[in-house]
Parts: sequence; C-alpha cells; structure tokens
Amino acid sequence: MSQTLQEDTSIQINQCVVRLIRDDITDIEVDAFVYYAQHDLALGSGFGGAIAVRGGPSVQKELDEFDPLETGGAIVSGAGNLKADSIIHAVGPRFREEDIEGKLRTTMINALRRAEEKGFRRIAFPAMGAGYYGILPAVSAEVMLDVIKSHLEGETGISEVIICVFDTPQFNAFQSTMTNLN
Amino acid sequence: MSEKKQRSHKAEMVIERLGQKLNRQVVGSLAACVHCGMCTESCHYVLANPGDPTYAPAYKADKVRKLFKRHYDWTGRVFPWWVKAGSVFTDEELEELKDTVFGKCTNCRRCTLNCPMGVDFATFNRMTRGLLVSVGIQPEGVAVVSKDQWEIGNQMGVLKEDYLDTLEWMEEELQDELEDPGVTIPVDASDCDVLYAINPREVKYDPRSIADAAKIFHAAGEKWTMPSEGWDQTNFGLFSGDDALGGSVARRLYEKVIELNAGKLVISECGHGYRSTRCEGSNWAGFDVPFEMESSVLTMLRYIKEGRIKVDRSRNTQLVTFHDSCNNARSCGLFEEPRELLNLVCENFQEMYPNRAENYCCTGGGGAMSMSEYTPQRLKSGVIKADQLKETGAEVVVTSCHNCVDGLSDVIKHYEIDMEVTQLVNLVANALVIEEKVVVPVEEVPVAVTADEVPVAAALEALPLSGRVIVVADDEPDQVEFLATVLEDNGATVHRAGTGDEALELARREKPDLLTLDLHMPGRDVGEVFEMLREDPELEDLKICVITGRPELRRLIYDRSVRRPEGYLDKPVDEANLMLNVRKILELAHEEG
Ligand code: SF4
Ligand code: SF4
Repeated sequence: MSQTLQEDTSIQINQCVVRLIRDDITDIEVDAFVYYAQHDLALGSGFGGAIAVRGGPSVQKELDEFDPLETGGAIVSGAGNLKADSIIHAVGPRFREEDIEGKLRTTMINALRRAEEKGFRRIAFPAMGAGYYGILPAVSAEVMLDVIKSHLEGETGISEVIICVFDTPQFNAFQSTMTNLN
Repeated sequence: MSEKKQRSHKAEMVIERLGQKLNRQVVGSLAACVHCGMCTESCHYVLANPGDPTYAPAYKADKVRKLFKRHYDWTGRVFPWWVKAGSVFTDEELEELKDTVFGKCTNCRRCTLNCPMGVDFATFNRMTRGLLVSVGIQPEGVAVVSKDQWEIGNQMGVLKEDYLDTLEWMEEELQDELEDPGVTIPVDASDCDVLYAINPREVKYDPRSIADAAKIFHAAGEKWTMPSEGWDQTNFGLFSGDDALGGSVARRLYEKVIELNAGKLVISECGHGYRSTRCEGSNWAGFDVPFEMESSVLTMLRYIKEGRIKVDRSRNTQLVTFHDSCNNARSCGLFEEPRELLNLVCENFQEMYPNRAENYCCTGGGGAMSMSEYTPQRLKSGVIKADQLKETGAEVVVTSCHNCVDGLSDVIKHYEIDMEVTQLVNLVANALVIEEKVVVPVEEVPVAVTADEVPVAAALEALPLSGRVIVVADDEPDQVEFLATVLEDNGATVHRAGTGDEALELARREKPDLLTLDLHMPGRDVGEVFEMLREDPELEDLKICVITGRPELRRLIYDRSVRRPEGYLDKPVDEANLMLNVRKILELAHEEG
C-alpha cells in the first residue's frame, strides 16, 4: 500500500495529451467538463451542488428546458459563473445495474461526440461512475481510457483530455491504467 | 418458474453481495440469536411503541437473518421452514427492508449490551444498509449526504471557499473579542503538534465552536493548524454502511495529517466522527495510521491538568447534565473523561439516568437526522430521551457530539422541555481565564460636547445595524418579538411577517437588506417562497438567513436550484449568536475590520 501522494501523470495519444490530475472538477479552467448527471438532469448534491452554487441558477434553468435523458445520453449546457465555459451532462450507469461496462462505454462515446460537435478542445472528465455511484475505480479507468484512446486515434478537434479525480484510490486506478496504456 | 427467474436484478445483487460481506463477527451474530427476548426492552423504539413487535431488535434482525439462513447457512438450505429461512424477490421487498434498517434503528448498539449470546445487531443492520445502498436503495437524505461527502469532501457540501471564509471570519471575531490581533486560526501550517479536524455542521450552523476551540488552542500556546482540505472528521460511511465511502473519507484526512507532518490529529466533539476516524477508518481504508489521534475532550482535559490553560468554573453556574453519545461512550469507551472535564469547568453537574454505556440514544444516531421521511417515528421514540432529560431538572444538557446536539434539540423542542444544548468546547471556552495583556494607558483628552451634539443620535449612529432594514418571518409571535427586539436594539428597522406570503409582500415592498426565514409557517410552502424571493430580479441584493427548529426541513431550501441562503441558524437562537451571524451575513464584520 502506498501512502505517499502522487505526482500528476500524462500520456500522449496522437497530437492529444491525456492528463490525470487531483482537483475539484467544478473549479478548473477548461472548455467543458463532464458532470455525471441524473436522468431528470436535476443537479442535486455533490458536484451538482457545487455547480449550482458556484455557477449560479442559470445552469439548472437551462437544464430544465431539456427532456429527461436515457442512460448513455449526453447534452451540453452553459456553465454560468464557473471557470469552465460549458458542462457536458452525461447520464451513466449506476449502482450495480446490468451491463455497467457497456453503458459506461456508450456514455463516454456520447460525451465525446457532444464535445466534438461543440468544438471543445480542452475537456475534463471525473472518474465516471466511481465513488457515489459505486462503479469500481479500476472498471471506470479501463472503460474510460479505452474509449478515450480509440476516440483520439481517429479524427478529432480535442487537444487535451483531463481526468480530474479526488481520491487516492481513484488516482491510483487511473495512473496504473494509464501506465499500462503507455 | 424457478426462484432465480422471479428475482429482480437488485435483489439478486443484494444476495450476492451479502455473501461477500459475511465475516466471522457477522456470521456469529446472525447465527447466535436464540430469541430469548432479553434485548427487546433495551431499544428506545420498543419502549416508545409498546405492543408493536416490529420494533424489537430480534424481529428486525430476523429480516436479515432469514436471507443468511436461506442462502448461506446449510440449515436453511435443508430445512428452510424450520429455521425460518426466506429470500427477497422484488424491489418492493427491498424498499420494505430499507424502512426497517434505516427507519427503525439508529445503530445505537444498546441492544448489544444486553444480549447474552453476544449478538451485535447494529453491526449487521449497518451491513444491510450497505447492501441496499450498493443497489441504490436508500432514503433520499442518505443519497444527498453521501454524494456530498464523496464529491465535495464533506457531509454538508461546504465548498472550500466557504470553509476558509468561515475560518477567517472566526479569526476576526476572536481577535476582536480578545483585543489581540496576534490570535490566529492557522491553515495548512506544516510541522505542527496538532492538526484540528472538525464537523461541517460547525462551519454551516455552529461556527462559534470553531472560535471556541481556537481560543483554547491559543490560550494553551499550542502549535496547531487546520487543513484547507480533507478537514471533515465525520464519516457518513458509518451510517450508510458503505465501507468504500468510509475508507475514502478517512483516508483524505489521514493523508492531510501526513502531508502537513502534524504530530497528532485532534478530532472535534463528534461521536460518529471520532468512532469512524479513530476506530474504524483505518480498516475501511486499509491504511496504517502512523500518528496519534485524540478526541478534543482529552486534549482540553490534558491542557487543564498540565496547567496549560486556566479555567474558572464559577463562570458556568447553571445546572448541567451530560448525555453520552452512543458512539463515544458505548462504542469507544469515552465515559469518565468528559465528566472529569465537565466537573472542572462547571459548578453544578447532575447525572442523567441511565448513563454511560447504558444511556439511551438521542434519536439522531445512525444518520437519522438526514432521513426526513422517518421523522415522526423518530420523534415518537424520543419520549424516552425526553423523560430522561426532564428527570434531571437540568437547565443545560451537555454532549460531545454534533449529531446529538441536533437530535437532542429536536426532542427538547418536540416535548417542550426548557433546556439548552451545548458542548464541552463551549463551556471550556467560557470558563477560560486569559491573562490580560498589560496595556500602557494613554492619557485621555476630554472633548467638550456642546448642547446641540445630541448624544442619543450619536449612540444610535454607532449601533451596528443602523440604517439596515430587516424582515423577520416566523409564525411564532414570541420568536418574532425576540428576533425583532434584538435587531431593533442594534439599530435595525424591522418589519414582522407571520406567513410566507407576508414575508414575500414585505420583501417586495420594503426591499430589506436581510430577511430571516422560518421554514415552517402556515400558508404557502416556505421552499416556494424562498425560490420566489431568489428569482425576483428586484431582490437580487436581498440576503436570507434561515432560522429553524426543524433541521430536517433544510432540504426544502438546499435542494432548490437557486442561490442558497447566506446564513443558517438553529433554534433556539441566543442574542450573541444572532448578532454574530447577522453581522457576518451583512458583511459588517469585514467592513468594521
Ligand atoms: S441498535 Fe439501538 S435502535 Fe437499533 S435495535 Fe438496537 S437498541 Fe434499537
Ligand atoms: S438478546 Fe440476543 S439472543 Fe436474545 S433475542 Fe436479543 S439478539 Fe437474540
């Protein structure tokens, strides 16, 4: 078991950098970050609470205009007063539901698709579904990095993908998957 | 049709995970019960609901035990009818199980004490909570709090900037109080002897406790710091049964102590925080903790015994009693230290009966305060605590736990008991004798006051709330009068409202600087009133302070997608706390500073 705090890690895929950092995803400067949203797009607590408080009420107001999303779906909203310009709200699988990996893959693909459509160059992802929604960090890391890698190997306008995590177990899982990818 | 085909995916997952969670302690407890019934009368839910067998610990335990027998014990597989083995099939059955394990037990462990077979029901009740949480079946409040702690790092979703701002505010208050600009609340200082971690309730609803602790560290000459991150010593994983959350939260705090190279972690008064951080966290996190951890109760006691602080118990003259938090006392053995400290800082102490390991739960244990759907049955079970409190005849009940402060306050209000709730840190700070600095007097030059310089007007001008307009909204006339009088005495112009609609109308007409808002008033839903106030473009600058005796209603406000209130106070409110918060909200503290 390692008890030391790790340095940030990054890998290069084609012209694009994938960087792993420890930070608060709602408080970083990017074109867009991904929020692991609920079906009804209510921001709720956790990162959603931070978006509502720091970003102001305009974000939820904009979301209220959308229809509920199925698992795997993703839409884009403004980010109010946050440092980011936009937020990609992506509804991933949760709580040991069936076919976690397949659904997470679809969610990632749709989130990246929205980013390309909007021309975002720097985007940030949390450890999708890890933590509150109970997906194991290692599973989240495997699926996310696999989809990101395939995506960046094709034609893309994205220049930097940041994976922004909070916890050491999440950091370690992503770091080891990234190291293997390299 | 086979059993497997009929079972829902969630039920399937719960049964599968049960197998992974079985360890020697859990299996022992699941297998050992002989249904003797000796635990029955230990439970405050049973005592408050005579004749309702569904509250009996053994009855509640059987709901989980039957699963174990059916799926993991050979007797149940061979003779299911004999050992009452059974399974779960539908999501509705899981919901019913949720209402038992979250709504009918606070995991207080009092029944454990009386079981001759050593059955620890609370342990497998917690395990069952964890099984349900893993498939997303949980009370809404549990979901909200868990997500906050996973993603923001503390149970109340306090953002870093708000936490740091509160520390700065308390530092300024302390400097004013002690007339000493050298008093500080250090943040992220390295190589200190003490790192002090707190409960987010202190930041959000009770910042005075932070200032009181800082005052004590200052008086003791302690080399101490608070961390800018990883500062939450509470742990909702203990309540929700989610060991991954428990490990993650504990680890953040441990890592911060190591990063700042602090000698010791001191945990502010909080029963479940102490148990989680000190006793359970390292197991959940799989982390070897290389430093000492201590409850602030022990720290304060040590300071007095070592002569590092001086206290004068004649400053706390009221008759006080002590409520043992279940986690501190029954689970962690902190019995005598708080009493020793109490007797050093208070003149009149009266025991509550039963006490120590036998004490009854405050009703707020196991995260119950966050589960508003179970509030009526929680308050009903509070009759046992209410009787205990009344029998002491005390004016103040002291406890070493923020959860208990909320639980007791709710019981006191519901059963209309004339009693205040406080913590040891507040009493120690009040009894603290701080040597006055020697001030060299500056000769005063008398200034002549002419007849037309009206002293009354000058005094009014100097009042802290002069020129401020405030609307006080509350349906209890006594409360309105109290708040209005304090605010008027401090120079504010106050308008009184008794319903949400009146509050709206007055706010729109008078354009006040501040509105104090009770969460439970007749007429229009207060959550809706709050949202309307927030959405009115003419009231953009209006500050709102929620003042409530119903903490479970916080969700009415905090779940809305509008700007949150600038302040929050729990009833009963005293004058000093009201003014402290109003000045902070109106940013007078900063202006004056
Ligand atoms: S742990 Fe406490 S609340 Fe739960 S059944 Fe036992 S005595 Fe009752
Ligand atoms: S006291 Fe122990 S053995 Fe007796 S009913 Fe209660 S849990 Fe079972």
